[in-house]
Amino acid sequence: MERRELIRWLVASAGVAALDTLAPDDLIALGRDVHARAGAHADPLISALAERILPGAGDAGVPAFIEKILNDWHTPEERAPIQAGLKQLSDLSRLESIDQANPDWYARLKYLTAYGYCTSEIGMRELELWPPPSRYDECAPV
Amino acid sequence: MTDFDAIVVGSGMTGGWAAKELTELGLRTLVLEAGRPIVPERDYTEHKPPWELPFRGMGDRRAVAARQAMQRNSVSFDELSHVFWTDDVDNPYSTPADRPFYWFRARQVGGKSIIWGRQVYRWSDLDFAANLRDGVAVDWPIRYADIAPWYDHVERFIGVSGQAEGLAHLPDGQFLPPMELNCVERHVRERMRQRFGRERILTIGRVANLTAAHNGRAPCHYCGPCHRGCITLSYFSSVNATLPAARATGRLTLRPFSIVRELTYDRRANRITGVRIVDAQTRAEREYRAKVVFLCASALESARIMLNSGVGNSSDQVGRNIMDHIKWGGGTGELDGWTDRKVIGERPNGIYVPRFRNVSTRHPDFIRGYGFQGAAGREGWRSALRTPGIGLAFKQRLRELGPWSMSFWGFGEMLPRAENRATIHPTLVDKWGIPSLHIDCRWGENDLAIHRDMNVTAAELLEAAGARNIEAPRGPSTPGGTNHEMGTARMGRDPKTSVLNGWNQSWDVPNLFVTDGAAMTSSGCQNPSLTYMALTARACHYAVDRLKRSEI
Repeated sequence: MERRELIRWLVASAGVAALDTLAPDDLIALGRDVHARAGAHADPLISALAERILPGAGDAGVPAFIEKILNDWHTPEERAPIQAGLKQLSDLSRLESIDQANPDWYARLKYLTAYGYCTSEIGMRELELWPPPSRYDECAPV
Repeated sequence: MTDFDAIVVGSGMTGGWAAKELTELGLRTLVLEAGRPIVPERDYTEHKPPWELPFRGMGDRRAVAARQAMQRNSVSFDELSHVFWTDDVDNPYSTPADRPFYWFRARQVGGKSIIWGRQVYRWSDLDFAANLRDGVAVDWPIRYADIAPWYDHVERFIGVSGQAEGLAHLPDGQFLPPMELNCVERHVRERMRQRFGRERILTIGRVANLTAAHNGRAPCHYCGPCHRGCITLSYFSSVNATLPAARATGRLTLRPFSIVRELTYDRRANRITGVRIVDAQTRAEREYRAKVVFLCASALESARIMLNSGVGNSSDQVGRNIMDHIKWGGGTGELDGWTDRKVIGERPNGIYVPRFRNVSTRHPDFIRGYGFQGAAGREGWRSALRTPGIGLAFKQRLRELGPWSMSFWGFGEMLPRAENRATIHPTLVDKWGIPSLHIDCRWGENDLAIHRDMNVTAAELLEAAGARNIEAPRGPSTPGGTNHEMGTARMGRDPKTSVLNGWNQSWDVPNLFVTDGAAMTSSGCQNPSLTYMALTARACHYAVDRLKRSEI
């Protein structure tokens, strides 16, 4: 999709008439959305980390979800320690020991990795969480 | 000359019932709804998969903080269902700084009947005679025998699944087949029977979700998120059941985007002549006239309309006696075993432990009591995060289920107190210039004693069941947080101390009826919607009878 066309589509899907009606925060978020969808790749470190934590996360679109939550859901105060933590991880060689220690910033990334996977179409179908069973069995064998 | 025979303000739980009963009894009825129309095919989203949501169910936190910072505290508010709550900026209200009150509001056709919890329990004379027995507030003007046939009438139409238990203080109803308890809930029920006999029993919840086809509506298919709507119409809402019935008579006119500014009143004739509305979209004002008006706008909104109109309040009780149910007391514990068993599907219902305090014995610390709702279940993929691990091993653990846990959540009766009060704010107005409410409400000593006892007895139940790691929730809840607000135009036996008579009819103005939660004289501990609906149907039949005899 062309960048200009993409902007028009995103504005329409956000339900706003024109860019100048957007609050600064929303404009920044929109800009990031355009950037992310216009072919730029998710942060390579987040992609690599998600894939190591949960093989298949990349195919399920988990890195883009993590970035969306970090950028558009978390506050700057919440985001800062996660970004600082990510810097310690740059070559992933310490991943196993950080996973054992499980500091807050890492626990959040691991949670978002699992959450993103378990709410993705690929993940939900693989884990048999989708489609819904359309029945109730109160005491089924595992 | 009137435009309609009857005007009903509100199209939700009680407005839908008033619409159905009044039109079926032959009245040309106008239903005024402040919010937008609802089209199930367009507006229900219960089957939307998480990956189609921008935040995958976590919600657009910034947008919510900006426009729904209060509404988001509701337990059934989520990324999709948030459209069924009002915008806090357009619909402001105030409270004292140190006494928050959650006023959850819904403005659309269907009101809160789209997002309600669907638990339905009858009251008994333990409840209707409680104020008289305890010397609290004023006596209810009715008893169980007055409302029992109307409970039957409502249950037969809406469809209620439940298990008859033969309890005098929680009467059985017209039940469709019960949903099943799961294996751990059955174990807890049996252990409770051994320890407490008939004093404390566990039964499956009584819920307005269908377990069999009923009145043209399909049985539940256990998909889970009822608060987003239900395309198979398997739970009761006014959109799913009462409004279609009213429409089928050919006598219903439903006008969405119609915000009632005030009732119009003819002082000489002492009659409500109709209502004046503001069109929510165009802001144009217009008046509708009718022979009788039913306020079904929700407890606080109906009180607001009465106070803004200056009618029906010679008792000075309108806006007073706000009650809710106190919650966030109870407990959760883990149970060993049944690791080879799991639940398939999402049961839209839990268990119920009917009130056992102050039923046959007297508790030294408080009057009235509480019931427990709850459930047993196993945690899903989140349990994989409890221990370290990455890679394929971690991925495999996402499939494994956590241990079984059992939870009890109490819902406690709140006593009516005159100082818990909503008044018209001197300056604050909503987007349409209509004066807003100032709400001053707090728990009383008896309410808080009930809350403390929930933690004690839930632990006793869990210990009897053999649970470990028992934890109590952090409570109490914020007043209003259970969304069972009621009492702001109470029924009574004396026009000096109550707003409505035993037929939900204004003592002051005979062609005004109030049949939502405002009418409640005490709160019971049961979920209240069933009682509101039964009172509404009963009042409609009374009003039509009196209209035919030209007595109102």
